[in-house]
Amino acid sequence: MENDELQKIWKHVDTEISHWSKDELNVLLTSKVRQTINKFLFISGASVLICTGFLVFLIVAALNRQTDTIYLVNNLTLAIITVISLFIGINFWHQLQGNGYNQPLISWLDVRIKLLSKWLTGKYSSLYLYIIPFLYLLTVLSIHVYFENKHFFEVLQTKESLFGLAVATPIGLFVAFYGAIKIRRYQLRNLQFLKDLYARLCDLE
Amino acid sequence: MKGLKEEFLRIISDYQGILHKVNLIYFNNQPDREDNFQEIVYQLWKSYPQLKNKKSIGSWIYAVSINTSISRIKKTSRIEYRPTMPELTDQPTVLEDMDRTESLQMLLKAIYLLDETDKSIMLLYLEEKSYEEIAEIIGISKSNVGVRINRAKALLKQNLKSLNHGK
Repeated sequence: MENDELQKIWKHVDTEISHWSKDELNVLLTSKVRQTINKFLFISGASVLICTGFLVFLIVAALNRQTDTIYLVNNLTLAIITVISLFIGINFWHQLQGNGYNQPLISWLDVRIKLLSKWLTGKYSSLYLYIIPFLYLLTVLSIHVYFENKHFFEVLQTKESLFGLAVATPIGLFVAFYGAIKIRRYQLRNLQFLKDLYARLCDLE
Repeated sequence: MKGLKEEFLRIISDYQGILHKVNLIYFNNQPDREDNFQEIVYQLWKSYPQLKNKKSIGSWIYAVSINTSISRIKKTSRIEYRPTMPELTDQPTVLEDMDRTESLQMLLKAIYLLDETDKSIMLLYLEEKSYEEIAEIIGISKSNVGVRINRAKALLKQNLKSLNHGK
């Protein structure tokens, strides 16, 4: 088959395409912009709302336990980690949704791969292995100690509390790690897909 | 803002054929094509203020359309990495023997079997873009464009053959 035969056949594609009017395109764009803004507001709004609710609880609990220094340190640590995580999470999401589509394919892939690699395989990529149990334990302690109405150390000395912690911790950690690992695996698959494409484009360069 | 949007919509209206063609080679069903079309228009609108070189509007639209489509394939790949080929209806043996619509369908099916990067290179070749434009859109050197095209064409012909044999 002649090479330009393919191009001749391809020219026929124009007759198969139904074009949109300017007004239809306008409606399409407006609804997409609205959808995207709503999605952003929902995701960032939900994250901010959950984190704010949690911070309010930490502050109220701390105000009610001003004499319990360990409890105050526990809640302060949790509050700091929550605020930092919220900021990093929203920033990363914003970067990923960022405006990089108007670059050549290879540069776009490069930027995307670097961003995802930094997050998934970079220096701090395994931090979640320590942060999840640490955060989980501090949160459980904060809630449990607050509702027990006792001092931090007193609660830790009761058999019931220790038993409750011993049972709830592995279950909670299993659920938390299961979710985190699933999300991570999906993102790693995406990263591999982009790396494969990039490698195929680079193998002649 | 209104003037900018008006100008943008006029450009998209004039160049929308590119969006439809990119959609055709990357997605094999109408709902995906419609979703992707909308996503491309949105991404074009987002990057429109940064479009300084008004002469290369076509290249800009190709780049955004290809990048957006690949990004979408990545997202939908959770469900199916490569959708299965639709059944072929007729039994002609070579592309030249078929009528134009049939041969176009066959060509699309063969393109659909290429990987994502070869799809974009083949599309630009079929659209008769110059090596310089292809290099600009894909981001590879001009000297490698020819090699890429030949490789993609060889794969495409192989796909066409196996589609014919498989019927």
